Amino acid sequence: MTPVLFSALIATSLGMQQADLRQRLVDRGAAPEFAQQVVQVVAAARTSGLPVEPLADKAFEGLAKGYPAERILPVVQLLADRLRAGRTAALSAGLTQPSGRVVAAAAEALGRGMERNEVVQLLQAAPGPDAASVGLTVAASLVAQGIASRDATRAVETAYHEGRSARELLELPSVTSSWFAEGVTLPEVVKRIHQGQALPFPPGRGGAQGGPPGLRPGTGPPINPPGKPGTRPKRP
Amino acid sequence: MSDSSKFSHVAQQYLDGQPGPETLDPAERAGADRLLRAVESYAAGLRAPGPELDAAVMRRVRAEGLTPQSPWWSWIVAPHTIRVRPAVLALAASLALVVWWTASGARGRSGAGAAETVLVRFQLAAPDAHDVSVSGSFNGWSPPGIALRRSVVPGLWVVTLPLPVGEHQYLFRVDGTQWVVDPGAHAQVDDGFGRTNSVLVVGPRGVFGP
Amino acid sequence: MGESGSQPDGDIVRRVLEGEVELFGVLVERYRAEFARYATALVGDPDRASDAMQEAFIRAYRSLASCRDLKRVKAWFFRILTNQCHDQRTRRRRETSLEGHDQPARDRADAQVLQAELARAIERALDRLTPEQREAFVLRHVDGKSYEEMAALLGTGVDALKMRVYRARDALRQQLEHLHE
Repeated sequence: MTPVLFSALIATSLGMQQADLRQRLVDRGAAPEFAQQVVQVVAAARTSGLPVEPLADKAFEGLAKGYPAERILPVVQLLADRLRAGRTAALSAGLTQPSGRVVAAAAEALGRGMERNEVVQLLQAAPGPDAASVGLTVAASLVAQGIASRDATRAVETAYHEGRSARELLELPSVTSSWFAEGVTLPEVVKRIHQGQALPFPPGRGGAQGGPPGLRPGTGPPINPPGKPGTRPKRP
Repeated sequence: MSDSSKFSHVAQQYLDGQPGPETLDPAERAGADRLLRAVESYAAGLRAPGPELDAAVMRRVRAEGLTPQSPWWSWIVAPHTIRVRPAVLALAASLALVVWWTASGARGRSGAGAAETVLVRFQLAAPDAHDVSVSGSFNGWSPPGIALRRSVVPGLWVVTLPLPVGEHQYLFRVDGTQWVVDPGAHAQVDDGFGRTNSVLVVGPRGVFGP
Repeated sequence: MGESGSQPDGDIVRRVLEGEVELFGVLVERYRAEFARYATALVGDPDRASDAMQEAFIRAYRSLASCRDLKRVKAWFFRILTNQCHDQRTRRRRETSLEGHDQPARDRADAQVLQAELARAIERALDRLTPEQREAFVLRHVDGKSYEEMAALLGTGVDALKMRVYRARDALRQQLEHLHE
């Protein structure tokens, strides 16, 4: 529904959008000159085929956190550079028209210390565009948790080979996070990931590891309350 | 079983700790005492699971996550994570914002093509706070942020928000002045300004973490 | 979370169902503290008892909304746990012979040999009881529960429970006598 509905608006709204973004920045407390500078960075990025939402987001974040324009602008610029690097990595991985999502995910991964070749590796291994951006996001999150980027890369790549969907991949950071919170050591977490303990087995279904996934309290079959006849015969 | 190995009624009373008016035959008493000592010794040596079991159970409880297939009544009693169709969210968004989103060619950093939305619960222990809010990529970091409310648990602040699947960066704000990370987040990352943002990766079945 | 400890089980269940999943941990701690020894004696092996308890907690969590009477949460959980314990014990018997192939439920550091032998005899003897007798005997003699408390947990009358305990004692007595023949 959404792409068809709104694609018609894109051509006419370019100018409107820039004015809109400038106004929104000013509404958030940006000085008009600063707002204009941000808009220019954003416009240049769009011309280069980069996604611009992350840039505007970062500007709003800076304003919300109370940073002055001189602090915010370099950060937005740096992010634009990183998006550019992400796009280049995506192109060298063989994607001819990388989506904004993929570029943003690649940029974030690079920003968190993943190696360029690891980003390229994951992009090449991904079964599709959704899995590509999600896989990079997940790998970058694992890295942020302290997992070495080569282990994070291997984990996501293995998941791809197992036929894991983007949906399943998105659960990885939750699982590792739980482990860390209980005090499982980093080497043990990495070992468990590589042993396939993080995601249910077999791929795509609930499995034997920790019981069927996805349980909200109260959704199993009712258990007979005490006092009612159960399946065992009563014996004296 | 021969009769001699059955305890008399008096002996059973004795074993229940309720000696009756009748006296107990000494041989029977000896037998009863031997049973009691044996059981005491057995019970004293029992190696039963301790508190480590509690952590193991909660690990599994958290990892179980939330199921999409649920009977209608459990949807009502357990609203921890439910699905909202993207169309509903799109209609609720302001026109300017929607135009800006789609014109920029990106639908944010949400993952899985269907841009599903799930309710996620945020909580922060801040017993001395007067108000707590959360701001992040999901609300464009717009001040004053989304307010948390006091939970029935003393000192705990909570709010449940619909979030698209994918990664979100955010921070809590205490008393309108102090930015605070979420200890329950999946990771903490540099925000580029020299500060730390909390990160949550939301899956289609919600979020589970520490 | 200072006040959680004084909340009745039913309140905790209600709050868990409303989304405060972490509160389930309070119930876990309470019931583990109360029933761990019961489970170990019922199963006869500490590792399998641990498995039985874990499985019982997870099943309870999944079926939480079906616990209709919030005033009898403990009894409801107790029944789930007991079923799991019986399953584990059956599985254990099938998989190992009783003569020491798996971990004894008891600590081998016991210095008094006679005591150790007696205790071992109890362990073996428990195996010869019916499940109902075993439950009742353990609750009475290992946990020290009163017949009234037992009745509340098991949903059975006091007289029937006494019968089970008496028969269990008789069976155990016979086992102990064999030791000295």
